[in-house]
Amino acid sequence: MTTAKDNCFTVEGKLALPYQYFAGSTGSRFLISLRDEKKIKGLECKKCKKVFVPPRSTCEVCFEDISQNWVEVKNSGVVTGFTIVRYEEPHQPVKPPYILGLIKLDGADTPITHIIKGVPLTKMKTGLKVQAVFAKNTTATILDIDHFKPMAEKPKMEMGYTYDELEIGMSASFTKTISETDVYLFAGISGDFNPMHLNEEFAKRTPFGTRIAHGALPQSLIAPVLGMKLPGLGTVALEITVRFKAPTYFGDTITAVGEVVEKLEKRRWVRMALRWTNQKDELVAEGTALVMPPVPLPE
Amino acid sequence: MARRVAICAVAQTTWERNKWQERFQGMAIDVLDSLRKQTGVDFARKLQKQKKKKPGINMTISVSDDLFDARTISNNAMTDVLGGHFGCEEKVAQEGLQAIYYGLAAIQSGHNDIVLIMGHCKESQGQSRNMVTHVAFDPFYTRPVGLDFCAAAGLQAQAYGAKAGLTDQQLADIVVRARKNAALNPNIKELPQVTAAEVLNSAMLADPIRQLHAYPVSDGAVGMILAAEEIAVKITDKPVWITGVGNSMDSFFLGDRELTSNAALKQAAARAYKRAGIQDPRKAFDLLEVSDQYAYQLPMWLEGLGLCDEGKGPEWMQAGNLDKQHVNMSGGMLAGNPMILGGLVRAAEAALQLRGEAGDRQVAKAKRALAHGVMGPAGQFHTVAILARD
Repeated sequence: MTTAKDNCFTVEGKLALPYQYFAGSTGSRFLISLRDEKKIKGLECKKCKKVFVPPRSTCEVCFEDISQNWVEVKNSGVVTGFTIVRYEEPHQPVKPPYILGLIKLDGADTPITHIIKGVPLTKMKTGLKVQAVFAKNTTATILDIDHFKPMAEKPKMEMGYTYDELEIGMSASFTKTISETDVYLFAGISGDFNPMHLNEEFAKRTPFGTRIAHGALPQSLIAPVLGMKLPGLGTVALEITVRFKAPTYFGDTITAVGEVVEKLEKRRWVRMALRWTNQKDELVAEGTALVMPPVPLPE
Repeated sequence: MARRVAICAVAQTTWERNKWQERFQGMAIDVLDSLRKQTGVDFARKLQKQKKKKPGINMTISVSDDLFDARTISNNAMTDVLGGHFGCEEKVAQEGLQAIYYGLAAIQSGHNDIVLIMGHCKESQGQSRNMVTHVAFDPFYTRPVGLDFCAAAGLQAQAYGAKAGLTDQQLADIVVRARKNAALNPNIKELPQVTAAEVLNSAMLADPIRQLHAYPVSDGAVGMILAAEEIAVKITDKPVWITGVGNSMDSFFLGDRELTSNAALKQAAARAYKRAGIQDPRKAFDLLEVSDQYAYQLPMWLEGLGLCDEGKGPEWMQAGNLDKQHVNMSGGMLAGNPMILGGLVRAAEAALQLRGEAGDRQVAKAKRALAHGVMGPAGQFHTVAILARD
């Protein structure tokens, strides 16, 4: 027998039933505390020492009445598992894609399932430390926690290479184009208003034929190398020697290079060879530096 | 010694994406007609009226889900086709394989001699399968965050993948194999073959679960006749003995469980093995039918069943053991059975194999088989049944 859709029909329907769910006295206490105090509470079984969240009045393992054994658990925890929900359904509280995680709150033994925001989907990993973000509008459900977000990390103090990390042959550089503005500012900083740097007509009569930068200006470009790159942040410069080899004209691009050449074990200092070159690879200056690399910071 | 109980006949409709032209009752009556034709048994009440001595069905166990049927007590409207009017009727709303457990208990107790099992479901009728399973969660703690069985499976799949090192490629291979096997199963309709590349390129549902890793929405019905030994041998020449059944339920909240531990499945299997006298599950079965609702579950459940070491499911599969051990020659649940009927269809498939009636997917000389059913989010509840022929 064949059946065609024109002699056989379906009707649209809906199963909808207004309903009141009773939270129970134990559940109510949990939800009230969440709603009014923004505190997450768990129930501890005194026998097996397990702390349950969400709450329940009886331990599922020991069958002990645990309904009065309230303990406060932290608003923070660790993600023990997760998935990324990418399909869309009417029952979802947020628009997919979103991260659904199992979050073991600090002080609890049973992870709760909740939404995690503030992490790129591709970077989500188990072990992430998260903290609860409470909802502005209460619903007296677990959504009084709107979601969890990664714990604000304590800003980590950056530091350069320590003595032990430094190896002979390691090098770093910094490059900058020296402009007329740099030279005039440097004149102001140093008080060196020598006309060979500032007076073109005067400079025409010098062996250079035009204005040149102060020698200390390209020399100073080694400071970002030593202080910010190698060894880097936390370095103390003890001695710098320089021999100037060629002038720096306005518009020249100078590269300053520092290379570790000696480790002075006794003092835990480092000697570095320095070189400055211009855009034509001409040697502008060379020298050495003696530096004290950073020592690890106390926590 | 308890009475021996046999599956005397099995019948099923085809499994399709949308049997829009069939009512629940229509699907069931086709199955019932086949079962009656195979065994020649009728309902006991009619026969008593005719004062015949021939034994009849004196208990019916239906399997259906109220929410998928969108009516409460979803068996009520089925009683005419279940023979339930004035008969003994029982309903399973857990997983369908449980009906075999109920039937076994009813016959072994001596209360009944012939039991009809009839399961039906049309997953296609609801707007979304996920909306139905969402309501399985509690309204305060887990429903508000949008959980449903698919999202719960995503959480478990992520955890199991990390533990066992299951790769996207291996997941794709599982799906490709399931569909290849299903092509030899005439009960599976409308299930296109796929390549591994197609699986790998299908959209993510709940990472790491992809669209093609999920069992397709399915409609259909499945039934069986169980009988006590003295009757079984009269109504069929190929009785399939139910030698052991076990089940186990894990915690309700996902966070209360260790999602990769297979705790419930291990217990269900241990109970079934003990009752069936099985020492080493790795050597015990000629075939296994496992309820893989999502591809990741196949290696995971096989670990739980003790077919391989814990965390070694992917390696075990890679070594070709799915084919060597004849796992899911029917295509498994990945080929499409409604959730509530998955385990019951697995048992029906195993029975067909043991009866030598599995056609192109027949495993030669199959004597003992395992059928597995699962229900609840992330495998909360498992049933394991051991079937054997003499």
